[in-house]
Amino acid sequence: MTRCRRMNMAVGVVIACLGFMSGCGYNDLQGLDEDTKAAWSEVVNQYQRRADLIPNLIATVKGYAAHERDTLESVVNARANATGIQVTPETLKDPSVFEQFQKAQAGLTSALGRLIAIAENYPNLKADQNFRDLQSQLEGTENRIAVARKRYIDRVAEYNKMVRYFPTNLTAKFLLHIEEKPNFTVVDEKAVAKPPEVKFN
Amino acid sequence: MGSINMSRVRRELARLMVLIACLCAGATSWALEVPTLSGRIVDLARVLPAEVASDLMHELEAHEAKTGNQVAVLTLPSLEGEPLEEFSHRVATTWKLGQKGTDNGALLLVAMKERRIRIEVGYGLEGTLTDARSAQIIRNHIVPHFRAGDLQGGIATGVRAILGTIEGTYSVTESPPARVSTADEPSAFEYVIVGVIVGLMAGLLLSNGHQRARALLGSVLTFLVAQFASILLGLAAAGVTALLLWLILQANRGGGRRGGWRPSDLAWGPGGGFGGPFGSDAGFSGGGGGFGGGGASGSW
Repeated sequence: MTRCRRMNMAVGVVIACLGFMSGCGYNDLQGLDEDTKAAWSEVVNQYQRRADLIPNLIATVKGYAAHERDTLESVVNARANATGIQVTPETLKDPSVFEQFQKAQAGLTSALGRLIAIAENYPNLKADQNFRDLQSQLEGTENRIAVARKRYIDRVAEYNKMVRYFPTNLTAKFLLHIEEKPNFTVVDEKAVAKPPEVKFN
Repeated sequence: MGSINMSRVRRELARLMVLIACLCAGATSWALEVPTLSGRIVDLARVLPAEVASDLMHELEAHEAKTGNQVAVLTLPSLEGEPLEEFSHRVATTWKLGQKGTDNGALLLVAMKERRIRIEVGYGLEGTLTDARSAQIIRNHIVPHFRAGDLQGGIATGVRAILGTIEGTYSVTESPPARVSTADEPSAFEYVIVGVIVGLMAGLLLSNGHQRARALLGSVLTFLVAQFASILLGLAAAGVTALLLWLILQANRGGGRRGGWRPSDLAWGPGGGFGGPFGSDAGFSGGGGGFGGGGASGSW
């Protein structure tokens, strides 16, 4: 009889362990953490790709519009600023570093936007095959950045849900000691909400 | 009194129905739906005459047979306010053009009302069909025809330019079309097999214990694993484990049949086809390729 009881206990323990392992979300959290890291690497990869295009772009624009010194310099500075911040998956947990990275990249985006806009004033530059190719590469890269960011946003949302939902939040808090990850936001919400000014001269 | 309440309840119900209907309508009109992949050429804007479409289709088919590259064309009457790049990426990832692993798919999308064109390029073709090359194809091959009002000519030239560009990237021998299973997850069958093995091992390795308890433990373990496939399959697998364990343990004991196994337990044998990834291959389907937003857009 005691044998039978011991047996029953063993059965109970095994079932409880299995239930705990599949329900506590330990593996899910680890898997999602790895997914967010991979998604982040893709984001950085695409930003790097954009930074790599810039020297060629500057050289081409300089050939036609050397006196647009301010715009050119602002792109160079913004690029230096953006590539100066290295965000590894470890520092990624820090929301302030994340924000800094996001701001620097947004600064580069707007500087590049101005550079492309001044090209409109130079028909020869616009017709240059090299510039056209660079421009389409830049557009393609911006689109890839958008895709990579969206994937990262989705992965982090999934991860953060796991971190907050019960009962996986217990595993996250007491066993793994992890917190929610920061996600991309609109850098300057006020600027986006403000309607653009249109001047007719 | 009762009738007043009844009419009020009815009114509230009606209101609720209207609300639900509104919500449903809102949900469906929220985003432009990805069209179903009816073939290599999905001409929703009806700009391609039948013979042009079938010529192109045969070319695309022959190209896929030779290289494994999957190229599709989609024409739309309108984007209905959806951003071109986002929609095109959504279509390409939903259709999964290109083979799994090599990601060698491409999509040519034309939106009539917005007069916009996009070439969406899968990861595996980004090296040859670069952004710059895609932009050149749009600018030099497609737009001149479109501006002249020759839509079919523009699409045909564009498709041929795309095929010419990606011609040598892959050959079928190095990228066999892996279409059978597009799912990364273990199949139902694998869960069942692993579950039965785990259950049997557990039941057999426990050195002591009541026969019935060992059989029960084994089948419970089997169920826990196999229920990932489906509850029914889990139960079936558990039944198989229990039966096998019982038979083995009985045999080890040298006969002496006790306990109450009824023949009806045999009904839990492996049955019920699992129709998961083995779909019918009638018509064209994406091979599981991925897209990361490469390509170019243009307008005419």
